[in-house]
Amino acid sequence: MELFAQQVLNGLVTGSVYSLVALGLTLIYGTMQVPNFAHGHLYMLGAYLSYTLVTTAGLHYWAAMAVAVVALAVVGAALERLIFRPLRHAPHLNSMIAALGVMLFLEAVAQIIWGEEFRHMDSPYAGVVSVAGLLVTEHRLILLGAAALLMVGLLLFLTRTLAGSAIRATAQNAEGALLVGIDTNRVAMTTFAISAALAAVAGSLVAPISLVYPSMGSLVTLKAFAIVVLGGMGSVPGALAGGYLLALAESLGGTYISATYQDLVAFVVLALVFTFKPSGLFKEAA
Amino acid sequence: MRLQIADCRLRIAVALMFGVLAGCSSNSGDETVTIGFTGPLSGGAALYGRNVLDGLEMAVEDINAAGGIPVGGRHVKVAVVPLDDRYFPNESATNAKRLVHQNQAPVVFCPHSGGILAIQGFNASAPPFIVGAYSSEPQIVESGNPLTLMIPPKYIVYFDAFAQTTMDAHGKRLGRIPGAHAYAKEWTKGFSAVWESKGGTLLTNNEVDYNTTTDFSSVVSKALSEKPDVLFVGGASQATALVIKAAREQGFKGGFVVMDQAKFEEMNKLVPMAMLEHSVGVMPMVAHPDFRAAKFVEQYRQKKGPDRDPPREVSLTYGAMRVVARAMELAGTVTDARAIHARLDEAASTLPDEFKPSELLGVDAKGHMKQTVIAAHVVGGKFVPLHLAQID
Repeated sequence: MELFAQQVLNGLVTGSVYSLVALGLTLIYGTMQVPNFAHGHLYMLGAYLSYTLVTTAGLHYWAAMAVAVVALAVVGAALERLIFRPLRHAPHLNSMIAALGVMLFLEAVAQIIWGEEFRHMDSPYAGVVSVAGLLVTEHRLILLGAAALLMVGLLLFLTRTLAGSAIRATAQNAEGALLVGIDTNRVAMTTFAISAALAAVAGSLVAPISLVYPSMGSLVTLKAFAIVVLGGMGSVPGALAGGYLLALAESLGGTYISATYQDLVAFVVLALVFTFKPSGLFKEAA
Repeated sequence: MRLQIADCRLRIAVALMFGVLAGCSSNSGDETVTIGFTGPLSGGAALYGRNVLDGLEMAVEDINAAGGIPVGGRHVKVAVVPLDDRYFPNESATNAKRLVHQNQAPVVFCPHSGGILAIQGFNASAPPFIVGAYSSEPQIVESGNPLTLMIPPKYIVYFDAFAQTTMDAHGKRLGRIPGAHAYAKEWTKGFSAVWESKGGTLLTNNEVDYNTTTDFSSVVSKALSEKPDVLFVGGASQATALVIKAAREQGFKGGFVVMDQAKFEEMNKLVPMAMLEHSVGVMPMVAHPDFRAAKFVEQYRQKKGPDRDPPREVSLTYGAMRVVARAMELAGTVTDARAIHARLDEAASTLPDEFKPSELLGVDAKGHMKQTVIAAHVVGGKFVPLHLAQID
């Protein structure tokens, strides 16, 4: 039982990271139908920025994260304006190829700036606490809380504000949104900025418990795509639930079936969802 | 990336120009021999590939600074041409062919067993070339390839001492969290058999992919739930350090057996020595008791920066490159791979002290570089040497 509880906790930590990354991916797909293959690389960039600001500029962890978030929002907006907007009316394939190009470009840039070494930064919250008999580091608890807060904030933004409603409207029907006077260009740019900022938060949160290196984004992108497909392409609640579901499947499957098949377990869940609900768990009827 | 390609093109252009010039003016100009390298220079294993390449480049720099390799009255300069194979054996094979046909490389170094085995499929046929094999997988010399130089000690050399030391100090229950790659699987199998033969108990094998796991907490929780005395871990240094960190954070007090792929000096950058206490693993160069090691560390820091420690693969490939250069000198040729290979043993056993970072005893009939192997046991924050018997 203790092992089960420990694994649920571990799954929730990983799930928080997965969900944040998947959220960004699903937002962009929802509003622009672009599968942003470079999304994991924005997460990588966010992790590197936080790492650099903490270790070389001596900033506090939260301050570094804030700077990284703003910087990545700018990068995200620039990507939309310079790369994806001009391709909006081109065949769909072009944006996909552009996304792949951005991915390769970002990885090469990171390799030139930071080298191929694995980096690791220490969290200011390195202590270990015991929660009901379970041992967990403070940083992991903070990660859980921060991610949850951010998700609630994002949901409120999407449902309660005008800008959020504009994003949802564009996701539902881009032409309709245009007709009722929504500036879809601005919506696209905002969406990209928010998505990149989310990736930056995820990257910064994960940096102290994991490793920072140029190709760290590839695997996360893969997982995030699996989550987005699992939850329904473009669905926000789907990405949230899918992230936690996948991570829990990994940690519990890894424990009670076999650690070797941890990744396999996740994809078996995906296959099952496809078999019984091909549109994804949370896809709203169009 | 684009820079590298441009650089490469420039080099080819310059080489062509020199070729033309040399052709015009008979025998003037520098003669150069190319040493090939194919290994991971991008992706997750890029650092490892870079380290092996660093060792080669350092040696070549020193050889050229001393005028080159003396061969039959001439002095031949050495150039290293590296190609990225992203750890894919098929790309290693393609790269090796390219290096041999395009650059006439008599030796191609490769730092992973998959690539080495692929290259061994054709390196003995025309045109023959030596594969400089940086892998401790015994299979690469068991295959009977006549033109192989295996550089590091076979990993089986570590089993007995690692098992005995940790079993005596902590107990008989071995928890296992090794990597899921082929090399780790072989290691785990071999080490587990030795552990059992000494009367130890094997707990569940929680094999996990070190390259794709974001957070090791869950697999560590699972292994610790079986109350092990000793944990067997191993993959890339940095990921291994995270496994050790997670185990200590969850309250594990016992010892670690660290597979030779992970290096203490690299793990120590991520976790404090206190977490590495009671571990057995490869001896870092900075703490190596060999009198030549300290000088090599100094030399490395001059080139790479005062806060850098040379990983083991840098020192071993440095030594290997020196051995190859000396064998070329002894054979009186930089092109005849068979003649060079025949002199490797003599080259290694007569290599002057200043050319090798640690003891080299020779090269055996199968092409394995013989050396004294010293491992480390972390006790009280210090690396205590464990002297191991060579296994051929």
